[in-house]
Amino acid sequence: MNSYSEKPDNKGAVISAKTSIPDSIKDLLKKAMENDVFDAVLIPMRVPAGDSFVYVLIQDKSLIKDASPFSPIMSVQGAKAVSSITRLGKGNLKIAAIMRPCEIRATVELTKLDQTNLENITLISMDCPGVMPISDFTKEPEKAMKLYDNAIKNLDDKIMRPVCQICDKSSMVSGDLHIGTLGAKKDTFFIISNSQKGKDILDKLGITPKEKIDSWQTKVKTISEEKQKKRKKAHKDLKAQIGGLDNLLDTFSQCINCHNCMRVCPICYCRLCYFDSDNVKHPSEDYLEIAKNKGSIRFSPDTTLFQMGRMMHMSLSCVSCGSCEDVCPMSIPVAQIFSMVADETQGLFDYIAGRDTDEPLPLRTYKEDELHEMEDAHD
Amino acid sequence: MDRKIGVYICECGPNISEKVDIDRVIQAVSSLNDVAVVERYKLLCSEDGKKFLVEQIKKHGITHLVVAACSPREHQQTFMEICENAGVNPYLFQLANIREQCAWITDDKDKATKKAIRLTKAAISRIRYHAPLEKKQIESNPDVLVIGGGIAGIEASLQLASPDRQVYLVEKTSSLGGMITNFEKTYPDMRPCSEILKQKMDDVDKNDNIKVFTDSEVAELLGFFGNFQVKIKTKAEEIDAVNFDVGAVVLATGSTLFDPQQISQYGYKKFDNVITSLEFEKMNLSGRITLKNGKNPKSVGIIHCVGRDKKGYCSEVCCMYSIKFVRYLKDKLSDVKVSNFYSDLCVPGKSHQQFYEKTQGKNINFIRAESIEITKKGDQLSIKYQDEKGSKNNQVVDMVILSPALEPSSDSSVLSEFTGISQGDGGFFEEEHEKLGPVTTSTEGVYIAGCSQGPKNIPDTIIQAEAVAGKILSSLIPGKKIEPEVKVSHISESFCIGCKTCLDVCSYGCITFNETKKVSVVNEVICRGCGNCVAACPSGAASLKHFTFNQIYQEVKEAVK
Repeated sequence: MNSYSEKPDNKGAVISAKTSIPDSIKDLLKKAMENDVFDAVLIPMRVPAGDSFVYVLIQDKSLIKDASPFSPIMSVQGAKAVSSITRLGKGNLKIAAIMRPCEIRATVELTKLDQTNLENITLISMDCPGVMPISDFTKEPEKAMKLYDNAIKNLDDKIMRPVCQICDKSSMVSGDLHIGTLGAKKDTFFIISNSQKGKDILDKLGITPKEKIDSWQTKVKTISEEKQKKRKKAHKDLKAQIGGLDNLLDTFSQCINCHNCMRVCPICYCRLCYFDSDNVKHPSEDYLEIAKNKGSIRFSPDTTLFQMGRMMHMSLSCVSCGSCEDVCPMSIPVAQIFSMVADETQGLFDYIAGRDTDEPLPLRTYKEDELHEMEDAHD
Repeated sequence: MDRKIGVYICECGPNISEKVDIDRVIQAVSSLNDVAVVERYKLLCSEDGKKFLVEQIKKHGITHLVVAACSPREHQQTFMEICENAGVNPYLFQLANIREQCAWITDDKDKATKKAIRLTKAAISRIRYHAPLEKKQIESNPDVLVIGGGIAGIEASLQLASPDRQVYLVEKTSSLGGMITNFEKTYPDMRPCSEILKQKMDDVDKNDNIKVFTDSEVAELLGFFGNFQVKIKTKAEEIDAVNFDVGAVVLATGSTLFDPQQISQYGYKKFDNVITSLEFEKMNLSGRITLKNGKNPKSVGIIHCVGRDKKGYCSEVCCMYSIKFVRYLKDKLSDVKVSNFYSDLCVPGKSHQQFYEKTQGKNINFIRAESIEITKKGDQLSIKYQDEKGSKNNQVVDMVILSPALEPSSDSSVLSEFTGISQGDGGFFEEEHEKLGPVTTSTEGVYIAGCSQGPKNIPDTIIQAEAVAGKILSSLIPGKKIEPEVKVSHISESFCIGCKTCLDVCSYGCITFNETKKVSVVNEVICRGCGNCVAACPSGAASLKHFTFNQIYQEVKEAVK
């Protein structure tokens, strides 16, 4: 259905922004709705109180002007919104979803797991500068807005979440259309199609992708390589810090078992998490027996088991979006840990979560000739 | 109802009693919750032992039976039958293996006893979570689909067809007979092949209970043992697909030859007069063995083991038919010089060695050779090779016959998908077990015969076809209902999130997806209870009856405590 595996266009369209880039993007979306290219738009919007951003599905085009395509925080992972809309079927509305690359990658993963249906959805990504930790924003929203605007202008990621600072996939990976702001001349941006659906939409909008995009490609490459280096180093340092059973137990001993990380994770799509089920609740004599054997037992028990279990279930599809860490009340670097593990597990299968809907999930694919290095792992 | 667990420990003669301190086991488990009786007995599987157990169950009103004895492979069935005889559901039973897993693996009586206690306690823990399971019976169709009209398919059809059992024999070419229609004679008796074939084909023709479809292929195969739905497509254009139902399927799709072009040094299709064994059989059957120029060859080289290293297996029949070729050549061209080049000579069995020895004689050579390379030398062919001693030699001949490895026929992969059975080494259909189930497969009701299972000679092919018929005749009896597996998977509608992971990992094709409810559904009749879906389901929606999470957890927890 959607295939992003074909080489994207080497040409794009250059759009000049009259007032600002976000306004220009919104104008384009409005125009697309007027021309019946889209029936609705899924896009972040600031809440009336001003202290958060959420996804809204807009069908009244006059409301598009209030949207914020570049929201400073990610309080809801967009893939969850797309899944809410399409899990039970594609529906009959043509919807444009404006999301960050990691949100689109999570959407692609959920598509493989039959949790979204992209037939009527057009995924539009943008060059993502990263987002701030939710808690940093909600403290002083107005100040945070200014900080964020400045950070975008100066391409400075210091105020962004740690996992955004080491994100090497912050530009176009999958999706149908991409808004490229990197390497573009002042007050302009690129629109690049990344699938047949994307091409068709540009066609319907009367936009011809005829301009060269090498300046964008070069800039994206530079940033991605820079971040890749940072990412490798950060993961190496983290591994030294949490590696080994004792360090691991220490790291997760702060976990309060709230399961927030699982609830906001776009990949944790189970109806009932195994770790919320009765399977992990035991008769009192079991607890007493452990207490007897070990001297005592902590409550909540099994927090490390929960983290490890969740990791086993979802790390192959983890897109390092950082939602889990954003909501951890104990400030455990969950997303950094998971991104480190995900890079390794996905690397084993030469797999990148969210690269393409056509790329099969490693755990569902049986290859006789693979993972030989794991065969004698117990030795 | 109160749970009353009866625990019975078998001494197994001296087997268990000498290595495990049974009294200590009894002491360790007697006071556990729900345990009503703990007894030891000298041999529970004996007739007296069985009687003893039935009496005990009735006397004490035992609701759950734990036996600590041998491997479940040995006597699980025996004890389940005892439960049934005593009016207890056979799934309210658990066997602790204290013989193979305790008594027989150590000389240390203390260690053996400790482990026996753990395993017995684990079985008691587990059985508290057992639920009674009811056997089901379903109608079955006694008819059989045989795919492949070679000797294997023909033999199986003839054995199976009867007034109350229709056989559908599907052949993709225009006539029955398969590979052996190309042979003039069979080895080692050197009798005309047509003798066997003609009689068998006449029998098929005369049999009203065999319906033959030539120029036809299976287009669709759905269902399960006792209830398969088949769609056949015939090459003749005007005829629509034919649909019918059967209870069992026999795969007898035979083999084809490895293409020697894949190994360039044999010069096949590069030089004239380099031919394959099958081409030679056909030439011989036509009555004249000639070179491209119409003359008779004065010298012939037969290369055995072509492609063996590449395929990784010995094709079993090539040596024998190559020796047969020597006979063909000698019969038709008495002065011809024949050299056989082999890497290993395979002449097993009660008559093959003799056949080989009797074939040897003047102008006939058998040379153990490697690094064979064929080049052109004028109108002739030069066979370069290295002999057993390592010295390089060269022989010039008029004709080279290549005896290539056998490969499963090309439609194997499609049929493997249709039937859900796997292709093992070399792409041949994989039997359920090399020794314990050589003609059954991982899909109940699908059987394999002949070269589709592996290279085979004619007698072995017929033996296997008859074995398949035997299996079907004894399990698919007209009018008799069949009992599907009871320990099957179940997918909870309320937990299933519809990700379809289970559909990908199910080896039996027994899970379907309900698009309305967006949940996976298990067909309990096809399910064999392998547990793949249970392991793969991320949300715990899939569970296996008799191997539920709690049953396994309680058992393991107790065993590792």
